[in-house]
Amino acid sequence: MMRSRGNLTKAAVVTILAGVAFGAGEIRKEFRYSVGPKATVSVTNQYGPVSVRPIAGNQVIVTAVLNSDKVEVDQNQTGNRVNMFSRLLPGADGETGKVEYDLQVPSDANVMLHSNTGPLSAEGLTGEIAMEGTTAAVEVRNVDDAHVHIKTLDGPVTLTNVQKGHVEITSVSGDVNLNQVNGMLVEVNSNSGKIHYDGNFGDNGQYRLMSNTGDIEAFAPDTASIDVSARSIHGQVENDFRLEPEQTTPFLMRAESAFSGTLGKAASSVKLHSFSGKIHLKKRSTKSK
Amino acid sequence: MNCAEFQELLPEILDSGETSESKVHAHSCKECSELYAELREISQAALLLRGVEEPNLRVWNSIEITLRQEGLIRDAALAGPALVPGHSRNWRLAWLVPIAALLVVMTSGIAIFQRNSQPQSIANLTPISTADGGTAEDQEILRAIGERTPTLRATYAADLQNINSYIRDAQDSLKNDPGDEEAQRALMGAYEQRAMVYEMAFERPLP
Repeated sequence: MMRSRGNLTKAAVVTILAGVAFGAGEIRKEFRYSVGPKATVSVTNQYGPVSVRPIAGNQVIVTAVLNSDKVEVDQNQTGNRVNMFSRLLPGADGETGKVEYDLQVPSDANVMLHSNTGPLSAEGLTGEIAMEGTTAAVEVRNVDDAHVHIKTLDGPVTLTNVQKGHVEITSVSGDVNLNQVNGMLVEVNSNSGKIHYDGNFGDNGQYRLMSNTGDIEAFAPDTASIDVSARSIHGQVENDFRLEPEQTTPFLMRAESAFSGTLGKAASSVKLHSFSGKIHLKKRSTKSK
Repeated sequence: MNCAEFQELLPEILDSGETSESKVHAHSCKECSELYAELREISQAALLLRGVEEPNLRVWNSIEITLRQEGLIRDAALAGPALVPGHSRNWRLAWLVPIAALLVVMTSGIAIFQRNSQPQSIANLTPISTADGGTAEDQEILRAIGERTPTLRATYAADLQNINSYIRDAQDSLKNDPGDEEAQRALMGAYEQRAMVYEMAFERPLP
């Protein structure tokens, strides 16, 4: 069932509990690896969820539940890198080819997750987090000092409590929700998906929320320290704040489609740009958060 | 020897060295001389890289996507539902990486240069068909997706249609106001998103 890759797995300690029936046709496998600091763990799953959470120590534990014998799990360890891969066999489809992965990794590990259908989730990590899905919903929460790179076609993306992050998200039609997300760079590019930000635009960062046709809604407190510019070429813009005007504006200001200015000491740069989506910078009441 | 003959013999000249005839022609023809010098440089760089570790599959994917978008390669990679490419195939073609990469860089460089010097030309970067089916490249991609993962075809089709529709709107907007830098940025962003869809469609992940 499992094709281990001979000499590539020399450093791995692998425990396989194969053939344990969960339900009709389900197969559970467990893999354990000893890794060093900042290990890289990669999972490529055509169909099914992948979730990652931190574990103390220097082990990576992967539990895979295969939906049928139409799919296999390839795995290997090369040095400090662990790779998991779902291999579809002839006749596999979205249901029989499904594998559910649950990963426990050291918190400083770098993870790369791919699934067409997902969902993908990661929490409590501090390394690089790269997630890619077609229709997969993607969720990242409680990460600190991490680089987060996400690509989806129409899967929704939700980030919660990301501090000191470097965040880059591209989604074609999935909505993007950022809750308490701060960092040196927070960049979202969306085609038709909506972008929702609720936070304080902290960390002296650059925040770029860009959409083609999707609406952008950003909540910030009165105490936010931002230099903001917003423009929708063919859409409406609204601003609930009383911004200090800037000396220069980056584009021709038209009252109904753009605004810019500063709030507080303008520590962070905030750009809210859309082609035809509506942009609304909203004031968040301090009581609600 | 004329230019056509020189260029026809270029592969042999690069392999075996210049002949007296080719030397004479190259000496008298600046264009052929420069072409020969550039190709020799590329082939020497390729030789140096033969022994290096095989590049990550994402590099292959990116190169393939770019070459496909440029129309330099066609259907071969689409054949069959191969989720995992043969290892030997990659090694056999490994020497092509620097050449392909150079092509990609040169093409990108030219595009960036043209963009900087003539920003209004962005609106005409890639004509998008007004038909719902999108471009020929879109159709190829959808066919490949349909063969490999039929359940995702509709998602890709909808998203490509969505992006193409937006690109047409943005192009129209730019035609009305060619100097609008924000509109230029938005349009470039849309092209990048379309490239991302292509990349995800052709992704052939490996451990």
